[in-house]
Amino acid sequence: MLSGYLVTVLITIGIYIILALSLNLITGYAGQISLGHAAFMGIGAYTSALFYTKAGLGFWPSFLLAGLVAGLLGTILAIPCLRVREDFLAITTMGINFVVEATFLYIPFFGAGMGIGGIDLPHFFGQEISKSGYLALVVLVIGLMIALDRWLTRSWIGLAWAAIREDEEAAGAMGIDVVRFKVLAFALGSAGAGLAGSLYAHFLTFIMPVNFSFAQSMVILSMVVFGGIGTLRGPIVGAIVLGALPEISRPAMEYRTLVYGLLLLLLMRFQPGGILGEHSLLPRSWRKLCTAMQNGKTGQ
Amino acid sequence: MLFQQIANGIATGAVYALTTLGLTMVYGVLRVLHVAHAGIYALGAYVGLVAFRFLESFWLSLLVAMVVCAAAGILVERFLYTPLLHLPRIVPLIGSIGLFIAMEEAFRIVAGPYALAYETEIRFLSLGLGPLRLTAPQSLIFTVTMLLLGLLWLLLSRSTLGLAMRATAMDADTTATFGVDTRLIVSLTFAIGSALAGAAGVLIGVYDNQVWPTMGSIPAYKCLAIVVLGGLGNIPGSVLASFLIGLAETLLIGVVAIPFPRDALAFVAMILVLMFRPRGLLGKG
Amino acid sequence: MKRNLAERLAVLLTFVGVAVWLATPATAQTIKIGFFAPITGPVAADGASAKQSVELAMKEVNAAGGIMGKMVDLVVYDDRLNPQESVAIANKLIEKDQVVGVVSGSYSGPTRVTAPIFAKAGVPMVAGYAVHPDVTKAGNSNFRNGFLGEVEGGAAGEYAVKVLKSKKPAIINMDNDFGREISAGFAKRTQKLGSKPIIQEVYKYPGEKDFRPFLTRIKQANPDLIFAAGYYDVAALMTLQAKELGIKTPILAEEGFDSPKFIELARGTAEGVIIATNLDRDDPRPLVQNFLKNYKQAYKIDPDMVGASSFDAFMILVNAVGRAGSTNRPDVIKALLETKDYNGLTGKISKFVKGEVVKPVQFQIVKKGQFRRHGVITDPVVITPPVR
Repeated sequence: MLSGYLVTVLITIGIYIILALSLNLITGYAGQISLGHAAFMGIGAYTSALFYTKAGLGFWPSFLLAGLVAGLLGTILAIPCLRVREDFLAITTMGINFVVEATFLYIPFFGAGMGIGGIDLPHFFGQEISKSGYLALVVLVIGLMIALDRWLTRSWIGLAWAAIREDEEAAGAMGIDVVRFKVLAFALGSAGAGLAGSLYAHFLTFIMPVNFSFAQSMVILSMVVFGGIGTLRGPIVGAIVLGALPEISRPAMEYRTLVYGLLLLLLMRFQPGGILGEHSLLPRSWRKLCTAMQNGKTGQ
Repeated sequence: MLFQQIANGIATGAVYALTTLGLTMVYGVLRVLHVAHAGIYALGAYVGLVAFRFLESFWLSLLVAMVVCAAAGILVERFLYTPLLHLPRIVPLIGSIGLFIAMEEAFRIVAGPYALAYETEIRFLSLGLGPLRLTAPQSLIFTVTMLLLGLLWLLLSRSTLGLAMRATAMDADTTATFGVDTRLIVSLTFAIGSALAGAAGVLIGVYDNQVWPTMGSIPAYKCLAIVVLGGLGNIPGSVLASFLIGLAETLLIGVVAIPFPRDALAFVAMILVLMFRPRGLLGKG
Repeated sequence: MKRNLAERLAVLLTFVGVAVWLATPATAQTIKIGFFAPITGPVAADGASAKQSVELAMKEVNAAGGIMGKMVDLVVYDDRLNPQESVAIANKLIEKDQVVGVVSGSYSGPTRVTAPIFAKAGVPMVAGYAVHPDVTKAGNSNFRNGFLGEVEGGAAGEYAVKVLKSKKPAIINMDNDFGREISAGFAKRTQKLGSKPIIQEVYKYPGEKDFRPFLTRIKQANPDLIFAAGYYDVAALMTLQAKELGIKTPILAEEGFDSPKFIELARGTAEGVIIATNLDRDDPRPLVQNFLKNYKQAYKIDPDMVGASSFDAFMILVNAVGRAGSTNRPDVIKALLETKDYNGLTGKISKFVKGEVVKPVQFQIVKKGQFRRHGVITDPVVITPPVR
């Protein structure tokens, strides 16, 4: 039996994995830099919280609506993002994050500075599910995200995204509908973030606008890049390492945030592809090891 | 009241222009999202404060802060950015965020978590034009910003170094073929840009009378946004964007009284501008 | 296929490694009290004040022989003002550290998120200065040493009208739970007493540094008093910029201003500012005077409201353990519920009502760079927390 503490940490990491995987669709595969992913996590969290506490809907409909609303708003907000590229896109997505946070913070309907409380864990057959049960749900969603990721990258969509990422003009010239595929990336990524936001809200039971700030977006983006952007394993491992780091570094007390910053800095400097990026040290040596072992076997 | 609010807006614009100036130069030559520039800004404020306590001369401590920040800037450029230039832009961005977090924490660990007071006040006169009147501190910040802008303009348009810098910012490869040591120029640009950040840190430190570990966290994103809005390292563009944002924020809060936070208003304005000018205010193309 | 296996293995190994590390248990011999505060990150200054004060309190208790012959051991965690982290901390304190009770030295966010977890586990929690009204609503094991925003704001309203004779005050506050609650409390009370707040300005915290647009509007409205809410760093900016704009209206503020740093940063403009708070520097009780002296001696800085409130929260909990004569959590909760006329650092606590403290609201004025007593509100109608 896992301890409540361990389950808590694992749920947090699990939610970050979903967030990192969903951002990876936008920034990793489609190559559209987004500095405002937490906005869609927030939209999901608030949608779920409002449907659950104010409309009296259960967890399951709230959860699905969170993904739907976040995906829809992601589609709408992708429209201004289509007009701009690269750093202009970075600033636009950053701006969206600030505006969304301010909306939660200043409009009383969203609870304003008081936040929204009383968002309980889901019920299953009339019983509140245990923390371990919730972890299982999170893992299930991760599984679905991985399946979606595999399906997308192996389909025509993944190829189109790769083409847009490498050279947008060339992709357009080849007859790829750049706008449609970009919007699709934003829609899917935002929907994933919305689901994660809903899971986050029901796990914490209380949400405040500041939980979905620009700083949170940076945390998610760091996880994606830290692990290895544009791969499946990268964001997962990035979320695990950077999600666990605050707990692992607890003994460092007042140096723990310093450790976090330095780790990001040094990893980017010396392993710019992330710990598990295509050309990074760990996967390379692992592949070498595998080939060596295989060669050894065939040699016998 | 309208005139006072316009004055407030101009002063806010001057503060933005001052903090953004260095970043604009740096951005122009390397095109990195240099978040840690705000760390250098805070470093300048701390170094200036310590120097002031020892030297008891404001202008001398300003100089010390600028020199230290210039050195720090070169270090960041050589150690962090130049080796990562050939990689996707997101890599130096995350490295820069890591550096910025580490710097903020280092300030707190070394200088303590509490805000420190500058314990000095520069007397200045209040400037005005008709009914438009800046308060004394506003006048000071406005004058200093204009002075630095003027110096920078002279440097860039009247000196060989300036010419090399502009050429490098425009097209580093072609410039190199003319026999210009572009690596040196990049480093020098970083040094000057960082010295300007340090100066901004000291001046804003005195202006607000406080220096604290996370004082860079707002400039970190705000200055980047202004630089990009201005047109990716275009200096006149940045200055224009600074004053535009400063005025827009102040008037929307102070005259129209929209109950929305400053940053959100600024970003709404920026996104609107970008919809019409997707390459920035004075960007080309 | 080989590579796919390698990837999966790598992911699995990381997961297992983390899990094993996290699962290592801890053991205890002393009376363990849990504590969390934002020790790193953007509001580390308040975290430092809270931590230092609670450590001072622990040393005092242990120097006097501990409780029930046992030493008190403080388990300190940094929450970085991050709700996910504070949830993990709560679970860790409950399960691994098995603390007798918990003191929150943090803001509303982390305290509000953890309150139901502690309540569910039956672990007594005393919040030092977190203001969110729901902190005490999660269960009867949650207590608060600080004032509710509504109570403090109400007391400030009473003081504004009755003592400072304000007829048309202006309000400026930050956009968070504290700012909104305290200004609502202030507005409600002043209106009840026949005055009318004429303008309210709301600013973003953290983030706002330029108050001139707001202050210019306030100046235009020509109030006879400015009720200002904010934390010490922006407090200094507000008074500095008010002076710059030639505003001479008296300022009444609240406990967020209660820090020696406010006076230092305000460069003389703090003079004459009156604040509603809980720590009375001119309280002759040795408890108060010793704290002021010992804190300064230990940390080379004067204590602030955050520190004093956290000190008290710790002492209230430890005192309850002593009265219960047991480290059994339900007994401690029972003792806390029975708290009566407790001699606290931040005032005499008559009792707790639904977890909310009942004690006088102090008013201090900045005089010659020091906080000095200006007045006090003891009227039970004003200081008793509303039961909803």
